[in-house]
Amino acid sequence: MVARALTLWLTGITARRVDVEAHVADGLPSFVVVGLADRAVQEARQRVRSGMTSAEFRFPIKRLTVNLAPAQERKEGSGFDLAIALALLAASGQAPRERVARVAAAAELGLDGGLRPVRGALAMAEAAGRVGVDALVVAPGSAAEAAMAGTVPVIAARSLRHVVDILADRDEPDPIPDAPPAVAATVPDLADVRGQPRARRALEIAAAGGHNLLMTGAPGSGKTMLARRLTGILPPPGPDEVLEITRIHSAAGLLAPGTRLSGRPFRAPHHSASAAALVGGARLRPGEVTLAHRGVLFLDELPEFNRAALEALRMPLEDGEVLVSRVAGSVRLPARCMVVAAMNPCPCGLAGDPDRECTCPPQRLHAYRSRVSGPLLDRLDLRVEAPRADAHAAAGEPTSAVAGRVALARRRLADDPPAVSDAAAALLDRAVDGMLLSGRGADRARRVAATIAALEGAETSSADHMAEALSFRGAAA
Amino acid sequence: MTSEAALRIVIAGARAGIEPGGITRRAGGPEKLLTASVERLERLGLPDSFARELRRARRADVAAFRAELAESGTVCATLADAGYPAALRELHDPPLAVFLRGALAEAPLPAPAGAVAIVGARRPTDAGLRIARRLGAFAAGRGVTVVSGMALGIDAAAHGGALDTGGPTVAVLGCGTDIAYPRRHRGLYERILESGIAVSEYPPGTAPAPWRFPARNRLIAALAATLVVVEARARSGALITADHALDLGRDVVAVPGAAGSSAAAGTNGLIKSGAGLVEDESDLAVWLGIDAPEAHPPPADAEACALLDRLSGAPAFPDELAGSDGPGRIAALLSRLEVDGWVARDASGRYTLARAWTPTGSPPSTATAR
Repeated sequence: MVARALTLWLTGITARRVDVEAHVADGLPSFVVVGLADRAVQEARQRVRSGMTSAEFRFPIKRLTVNLAPAQERKEGSGFDLAIALALLAASGQAPRERVARVAAAAELGLDGGLRPVRGALAMAEAAGRVGVDALVVAPGSAAEAAMAGTVPVIAARSLRHVVDILADRDEPDPIPDAPPAVAATVPDLADVRGQPRARRALEIAAAGGHNLLMTGAPGSGKTMLARRLTGILPPPGPDEVLEITRIHSAAGLLAPGTRLSGRPFRAPHHSASAAALVGGARLRPGEVTLAHRGVLFLDELPEFNRAALEALRMPLEDGEVLVSRVAGSVRLPARCMVVAAMNPCPCGLAGDPDRECTCPPQRLHAYRSRVSGPLLDRLDLRVEAPRADAHAAAGEPTSAVAGRVALARRRLADDPPAVSDAAAALLDRAVDGMLLSGRGADRARRVAATIAALEGAETSSADHMAEALSFRGAAA
Repeated sequence: MTSEAALRIVIAGARAGIEPGGITRRAGGPEKLLTASVERLERLGLPDSFARELRRARRADVAAFRAELAESGTVCATLADAGYPAALRELHDPPLAVFLRGALAEAPLPAPAGAVAIVGARRPTDAGLRIARRLGAFAAGRGVTVVSGMALGIDAAAHGGALDTGGPTVAVLGCGTDIAYPRRHRGLYERILESGIAVSEYPPGTAPAPWRFPARNRLIAALAATLVVVEARARSGALITADHALDLGRDVVAVPGAAGSSAAAGTNGLIKSGAGLVEDESDLAVWLGIDAPEAHPPPADAEACALLDRLSGAPAFPDELAGSDGPGRIAALLSRLEVDGWVARDASGRYTLARAWTPTGSPPSTATAR
C-alpha cells in the first residue's frame, strides 16, 4: 500500500513543499527513509515508531519505505516527523488516506506521541497557502504564529492521536489564540545617557534618515549605551514589518513558541563573528544582518572584526538583501538594517584624551585605523566622535521626546524630501574644493543635510543644515 | 679623483655593507685605495669583507653599472663630477657619490638658500603633524624646496604639505632610491618621484639599515640653509640633524611645545640653547627671507570670532564648545570655519586652529561659556 502526506521544509526563511510517500510491503521487517535525508531526519524513524506505539497505533512489522520528494535535495531537521507518521498510518489503513494527502503537517513527534512546535511556522503557513492544501497541521505552540499568515486554515493538534481523530472528524482542533503574545525587548530609555549632546544628535539624525552611524570614542564614553537605545527612537514596525521580523526570527529558531516580535530587532554580534555568522550561510540559516532586518545591527569594536567578515557585509548593506549560496542550495535573505558601529580612537583608547597620553606605537595605531577603511566605511554616512563622558553632565531628553521628532522627520522625508538650497550647494562645493571631502562624501553630506532639514521641518536644506552635515564626515585620519 | 674610481669604491662599499667615505679619505683617494697593496689595506684596518669586495670592484664593469642606472632613470654624481651638489661638498665627510631619482633628478639640486629642511619626530602629536604640513605647504607654495627624510610622522607631513601645493620637495633616503621605506610611504614615495627628487648616497638596491638613517641626516642638514625642527623628544634623531646643521653654519629653528611636554623636550631644548623660534608661517617667512603670508580677514560673525578665541586656548570637542542652543548650531558654525580654513580637526575629532589667530578679546558669548 502506498500513501502520501505533505510537509514543508525550511530553507533560509522560506518554506517549500515536500511530499512524503510511504510504502508498506510484505518482506523482512525494515524501516528505510530515502530522499537525501540527513541525520536528524533519519532519527525520525525512532521517534515515529515510539510515537505511533505510545499513541496506541499499530506499527506495521513489515517492509516500510519512506521517500521524501523532491529526492535530489538534502533535507534536515525534525519537522518531517508528523508527516512521516501520517503517511505510514494512511498506508497501513489507520488514518483516512484522502484527508492525509490534502493537509500539510509540520511538527516534531515526541516519544509519547505528543506534537512539538518547529521553527519557521509562519514561513511554512505562507508556503502552505501557496501550494494549496486544505489545512496546515501544527503543534499548539506553533498555531498562533502560523495563523498570522492568514493564508491557510491552521489545525492545532496536541498529539498524533489527536491529529488522526481530527482528520477522521472524530474530534475538534484546539482553539487558536487571536494573535500571539508580543515579546518586545525592553529598550532602555535615552534619559539614562548623561551628556554626549553631539552623539545624541547624531543618533537622532541617523534614526530620522536611516543613516548608518560610526561612533568613535574612548571606552566608557557611552557609545554602547547610545546604540542600545536606538531602536527605541525608531518608529514602531508596521504590521507587514512585524510579519517579516517574526518570519525571520522564527526561522532562525530564536522565537519562543507561540510568540511574535513586536519591536525592532537589535543585534550586537561579537567581533569574533565569522563572515557566515554575519551574512548567513551555515546550513542556509539567516545571519546577523538578516536577523537585524528592519532593526539595528550594532558592530562594537569595529576594527577588531575579521576583515573578510566586514567585507561580506558590503553587498547586503548595498542591496538590502543577501544571496547565500552553499552546496545545499542558495537562498535570498532580506537584510535592510541600520548599521551602528563603534570603535576606540586607538588600541589603548587614550588618543585625544586631554589628561592622559596615548601609548600606542605608530605602526599599531596606523594598523588599527586602517582596518576600518575601505568599502564598509563608505557606507557609514554619519561619523561622530564621542569624547569621554562627563559624569556630572545633565541627563538628556527621554526616548519619547526624540522618537516624536524622528517620526515627524521620517514622514516629511517620505512625503516631500527637502531639496538642496543654492547656499547649501555652494558651501558643499567649497568644501569639496578645499579637499575636505570626496565626491562620495559630498553625496553623503547631501543626504544627511536633507535629514537635518526634515528634522527641523524646513522645506529645503539650508547652508546651516549642510554645514552641520559636513561636521559628521568624520575626523581626518 | 675620477668618477669611475669613486663608483668602484661605492659599489664595493654597498656590497660589503659599509660606508666607504672615511676609509677612502684616509687612503688618500679612490685611486690610491683601489691600487693599494694587501699590506697597505691591512694597515688601514679594512674589514675583510670590504677588502675582498675592493678586489672584485677593480674588475667591476662600471659602464654596465652606469647603463643600469640610466635605464632605471637614476642620475649618479660622484665627487669627481661637476654635477655633484655643491652643498654636499661643504660636509667634512661628503658622500663619494649621490644617486638621484625623480622628475627633477636631471636638474641641479637647488642651492641651500632656496631650500628649507623640515624634520621631526616619527611619533608626533596631531598638532605637530599639522604645523609640519602647514610649514611645508607654505614654503613650497613660495617656491622654496622642502627637504626632509621621508620618515614616518613629521617628515612625511612636511613632504605632504609641499606636494599639496605642487611645490618642489627633496626626500633624502637611508636606502637605495629605488626602495620605498618605510613601506607604508609607498604612495608618498611615488608622489615625490612624480614632482620632486629622492636622493641617497647609497646605490639602488641598498636595503635600509638602522645606521644609514643617522648618516643621511647630514645630507638633509647640508641641503638647506634653514633647518626647522618641528617636534623632537629628548635624544631624537632630529637633534642629530640639528647638530650637523650647526656644524655647517646653517640656521636652526624650532617649533616650541608646551612647557614640560615630553613630545617637545628636544625642540624646547634647542630654543633654550638659542635656536630660532617658529610658531607659524610668518615666523618661517622671516628666516627664509620670503614674503609673509597674506593676512586673512577675520570672520565677520562675532560668534565665530568668539569661537576662534576659545580655540586659541586649546583644541576642543564640539560638545565642550556647545552653548545652550544645542549641538547642531555649534557644529554648523565649526564646519563653516573649517571650510574657510580657520579650523581643522585632529584624529580624535577635536577642533583646533588651522592658522594664526589673534584673539579679539571680545566678551565671552554663549559659545565660550560652558
